[in-house]
Amino acid sequence: MSTRLRPGHLAARVLTFLVLAVAALAITAPFLWIFRGAFSGSDAELYRLPPTFHAENLTVRNFGLVAEQVPYFRFFLNSIIVSGTVTAAQLITCSTAAYAFARLHFRGKGVLFAVVIGSLMIPIQVTIVPLFLVMSKIGLTNTLWALILPGIFSAFGIFLLRQHFLSLPRELEEAAKIDGAGRFRTFARVILPLSGPSIATLGILCFTYWWNDLLLPLVMISDTERQTLPVGLVLLAGRFSTGSLGTIAAGIAMAIVPVLVVFIAAQRYIVQSIASSGLKL
Amino acid sequence: MTTSSTLRPGAGDHAVADPGPPAPRTRRGDGPAALAFLTPSILMFLVFVLAPTVGVLGLSFYNWNLLSDGSFVGLDNFDRLLHDERLLGVYGSTTYMALAILAVNVVAGLLLAVLLETRMPRWLRGFFRLSFLFPFVVSASAVALIWRFLLNKDLGLVNYLLGLAHIDRIDWLGSSAFAPVSVIIVNSWKTIGFSILVYIAGLQSIPNQLREAAIVDGAGAWTRFWRITFPLLSPTIFFLVVINTINSFQIFAEPRVLTQGGPGDSSRTIVEYLYDRAFGDFDLGYASAIGITFALVLVVLTAIQFWFSRRWTHYS
Repeated sequence: MSTRLRPGHLAARVLTFLVLAVAALAITAPFLWIFRGAFSGSDAELYRLPPTFHAENLTVRNFGLVAEQVPYFRFFLNSIIVSGTVTAAQLITCSTAAYAFARLHFRGKGVLFAVVIGSLMIPIQVTIVPLFLVMSKIGLTNTLWALILPGIFSAFGIFLLRQHFLSLPRELEEAAKIDGAGRFRTFARVILPLSGPSIATLGILCFTYWWNDLLLPLVMISDTERQTLPVGLVLLAGRFSTGSLGTIAAGIAMAIVPVLVVFIAAQRYIVQSIASSGLKL
Repeated sequence: MTTSSTLRPGAGDHAVADPGPPAPRTRRGDGPAALAFLTPSILMFLVFVLAPTVGVLGLSFYNWNLLSDGSFVGLDNFDRLLHDERLLGVYGSTTYMALAILAVNVVAGLLLAVLLETRMPRWLRGFFRLSFLFPFVVSASAVALIWRFLLNKDLGLVNYLLGLAHIDRIDWLGSSAFAPVSVIIVNSWKTIGFSILVYIAGLQSIPNQLREAAIVDGAGAWTRFWRITFPLLSPTIFFLVVINTINSFQIFAEPRVLTQGGPGDSSRTIVEYLYDRAFGDFDLGYASAIGITFALVLVVLTAIQFWFSRRWTHYS
């Protein structure tokens, strides 16, 4: 619209970029700092102020030392198993339930849906005590099942996918029905292929939530070998006496790298998913 | 059910003649199919949501520890709630931190989202957006551990930078004045990207014609913001106020890792307090009673959210 720049305009633009740049620096700097710390050869080097790079003082040794302090790769594997299984299971249960709520006609639908939405108000933090008792009654405390099973039902996921299914044109399903497809085939062959972005959205939100959760593993798991990464990092950081700070920094950095890779690869979906979580609720 | 309608091809004509949400009355009762589709969710819901919810209510009437199966004590736990001075303090610190995080997210988030609307190269906008968002996907425990280094009183980068501005060292994690401030900083730092993105989506839904019309009418950027952008953005702002309140009331990892809730209870949140009563003291009945108070708080907050979201659908 306006290609000409008045002096006031220019000042405003400079200020805008200054604020944005400072904010971006404030948000990225802690990550840069921890990565630099992960390569530092000594605690003094890690805490050196101002933090500068001296190539001769840097080392990759810390990364190897992490696994000597704690079963780091075990934590990593546990986290992948837990978040991966919860996500896969949640996508199945949420998409089928959402389809029933969006398209099928059955008695008690309204009440059932109200119950689902109502359960949004009771987060896991409230029910953690009886949840722990349920798990110990069925003998699943201290196993990864205790971290997987409570996450599978998701009222938010059902709601998100139902909204999306409602927006799909009915004609497509009618056509499939005329071709003789049953409910399940219509769902699998018509609805799901049209729902990639919504499913990806839910998958990303679900995976990051359970990948990052600290409370449930802290409550359910007593065996170090069966912990997930968030607790594992805290355990690693607790070993001040035996480990160097560089080792702790390396452990944190290694936990961040995969998230960073996934984040960059799936950024479009992540941005979309968060933007739409605001629009859809 | 489905086969019967395929025998009558005419059903398709009906759908073409009358598209849209109101379902054709010709086929009703997908009972068996619905049951099949819903069973996995219902099973999970019954065992891992409904049972524990009922359990929390039941347990709150018991004196229950992990060793024995406990005894019925009626309303004793609720009576204890009323006389638990720590509980009140913890709710106070939780509310203080939640409101501050809310303010940072809603105000600074809006500022940054609006600034991001400025004309700039695509890659630059993408870079800003991604760097703001990245901490949101990193685990709270990793984030808190990084900040534990940065906020260290004697060796931390934050105090070093403040020192450059001739500000005395602050005991970020060890003083009751600054421990909650640390939690506020770290949590806002982690979550502000979420608010920014929701704002961006809200800003993009504002029709461009309105702003262009205002430019034609000679309105400056300031006027355009307060007269057009802000009012049209109010549903988004309301949404963020409520969602951020709910989320920040549930904080656990940041105080746990940064300060262990201390010193005293200055940075303790209600979830942390519940966790300590339940799994530190094994006072499961009392912890359940605390859980009920927390659920009531969330119900009120969620009711407000739904009230606002109804207002919002009214808007658009």
